[in-house]
Amino acid sequence: MKQKAALIAPLIALLLLSGCLPTSIIDDVLLVEAEGIDYLGDGKVMGTVSMPNYAANPNPGSGGAGLPTTASMLRHLSGVTYDGKSLVDRFQPSGQMPLRVGKLRLMLFNTAMAKKGLYKQIDLRNRDPDAPRDMSLAVVEGSCRKMLTSADYQTQIPVARYIQDMIEQNSEHNYPESTLETFMYAYYGDYMDPFLPIIRKQGDHIEMYGLALFKGDKYVMRLSENRVFTFKMLFQKFSQGVYDYEFAPNKHIALKNVHTNVNYKVKNGNSSSPDIYASVNVRAQIRQANPGSISKSTGPGMEKKLNKHMAKEAVQLVHRFQRKRIDPLQLGQHVRSYTRNFDGKSWPERYPNARFHCKVDVTIRQTGISE
Amino acid sequence: MNDKIKPAHQVGPVSAFFIPQVMQIGIGYLSFQQIITKYSQQDAWLASLISGALSLGILWVVLRLLENERQFGMPDLFSIHTRIFGRRIGTILNLFTVTHVLLFAIRSLRSYIEIVHVWVFPQMSMFLFSLIFCLIAWYIVSGGMRTIAGVCLLSFIYLVPLSILTLFIVPHAQFENLLPLIDHSPAALLKSCYELTHVYLGFELLLYVYPFISNPREARKWAFRSALTTVYFYTTTLILAIAYFSQGELQNTIWPTVAYWKSVRFPLVEHIDIIAIVLLLWATIPKVCLCSWIIARAVKFTVPKIKMKYSLIVILALFIAGTTMIRTGLLVKQLNVAYTRYGALIIYIYLPILLFCQWIKKKRGRSAAS
Repeated sequence: MKQKAALIAPLIALLLLSGCLPTSIIDDVLLVEAEGIDYLGDGKVMGTVSMPNYAANPNPGSGGAGLPTTASMLRHLSGVTYDGKSLVDRFQPSGQMPLRVGKLRLMLFNTAMAKKGLYKQIDLRNRDPDAPRDMSLAVVEGSCRKMLTSADYQTQIPVARYIQDMIEQNSEHNYPESTLETFMYAYYGDYMDPFLPIIRKQGDHIEMYGLALFKGDKYVMRLSENRVFTFKMLFQKFSQGVYDYEFAPNKHIALKNVHTNVNYKVKNGNSSSPDIYASVNVRAQIRQANPGSISKSTGPGMEKKLNKHMAKEAVQLVHRFQRKRIDPLQLGQHVRSYTRNFDGKSWPERYPNARFHCKVDVTIRQTGISE
Repeated sequence: MNDKIKPAHQVGPVSAFFIPQVMQIGIGYLSFQQIITKYSQQDAWLASLISGALSLGILWVVLRLLENERQFGMPDLFSIHTRIFGRRIGTILNLFTVTHVLLFAIRSLRSYIEIVHVWVFPQMSMFLFSLIFCLIAWYIVSGGMRTIAGVCLLSFIYLVPLSILTLFIVPHAQFENLLPLIDHSPAALLKSCYELTHVYLGFELLLYVYPFISNPREARKWAFRSALTTVYFYTTTLILAIAYFSQGELQNTIWPTVAYWKSVRFPLVEHIDIIAIVLLLWATIPKVCLCSWIIARAVKFTVPKIKMKYSLIVILALFIAGTTMIRTGLLVKQLNVAYTRYGALIIYIYLPILLFCQWIKKKRGRSAAS
């Protein structure tokens, strides 16, 4: 046996050496972290890729190993191509090293692109084994190219990471979670439509600017910032959102929800106007209140007002979706789940007639540390 | 040939747990969700349970066959065939069942290469990879049954982390997707069951290994535990896949398991999917080893003159040739379809018939004796 092993070991070594494959060593590739796509019209897009730039701080200990750390690598590339083209392939001719999408964290589309439809882009990402599925997508109000290539941000970290951190952070607060994963879930799934956050550049920083609601792959409606809480409340359970309620002109209270969950019930799912019942439970703290407007004793009264107000807002929101015939809340999916022999073919016609009932139950747990 | 296996060459009864388990769980684990949910959408988990129950039933048939045979000599399929049907027909039947083992090996190896091609190294040479792979297999099989059983145990241990990875998708799962429960016709469920056959196949290889397992009474228990574990494993994976993907998305995804590995992210380790795929090599090694060992034994059984260590080389060369000839993904798919059909034919139809034949033979023998 030993002899045999001694015989085959060099043979294996020989084969392994001859079987060398192209590698992607992290120092020798350009890691694309963000892609931005601006629609130019007529099937043409302006694509931008952004790479991190590990430069600028001279490293005394770098010696002579490989790249001098002070050398600057390419930071971004942009150019015109057709919709659905893999940007990495498009820009390889101008890359000093192989471009790789293995760490792609962010894809941005400008509003024109989103309005035109993202199906080619989503198909590209769905087909690609290299790009991760948990990257963030966002619609940009303005130009993606400008956003990714500007050098006037306050922060020094690469813009791709800046934007992604911002989106991820906000999806723990008011904004619903949205990644490539959730987008594909809703895009390919039946009886639902996807949504993405909208971001825009404001001077030297970037901000969230509401939600872009899609019909299929096309952006059709913007949900403004102050409706996002209501949307998320109906969409998933969450905590740490902040809801601002103007109970009288110029008098606000702000709730920070400790925990919110939502339950759906459906009746007559196969009739021409199904009844959808949403019951939302909000447990909240008061973060800020108009002086004198709330205390432990006036809490219950405020709760009732809030219940009514939030339920009304929710119903209005759903009516707006029904008029646009979009279903970002995945109500169709809820109806399907609670209906035997669900009639999916006629659902698009029935959806606008569905009756949406919402019951909100707010519990104010704390009103703060002062009376 | 028909002398008993020496205890020194036998493996412990717990091997009856690891061997079928490792044979069953493999590349099919990456993609079975899509094919099954095509017919019975959210109720596919039910099909998985039914299919699992059927596999338990067939396992009973397998063990029954082997136990009935023990009194006549070697309890394995080759001896059963030749005893019941005579030397000539028995050899043909041996060829018939061993072809399935050959298909099993080539399909495992080729599917693994396909996964590596798609996800990790598109440029990898099929020939070189299968050559190195078969060298490893040759080295292991030369060590005999005990080494193969050891590799099965190792494989089981190495694959445990993969099943834990699945837990990361639980927070993203929408269990509402499983509703409404049982909303499909029995026909649709049966179709799904049939499509599931290929993931449960593999336990029937006990038919060849059984004489090498000591303490059969214990071994039988372990075999059933193994089959139950597989049912649990596949059913939970399926439930999670249904909850995590929307139906449309699932139909669009060829390798759902890898797709959700793709969305697992750790601060330091990116691309768990690639690590997991490389780890899956360990699901393929024991399969190829055991299959080549079985075929070599079949050769030895038919032509006792040929020594196993020589036939083994030819068999592995055959694996390499078979693997290299299947060039495109489409052919791999067709191979898998053929394998599923063949396997379903063997376990669901052929084995029960064989048990029946064995029973008839016993009746006849008894009436002839009296």
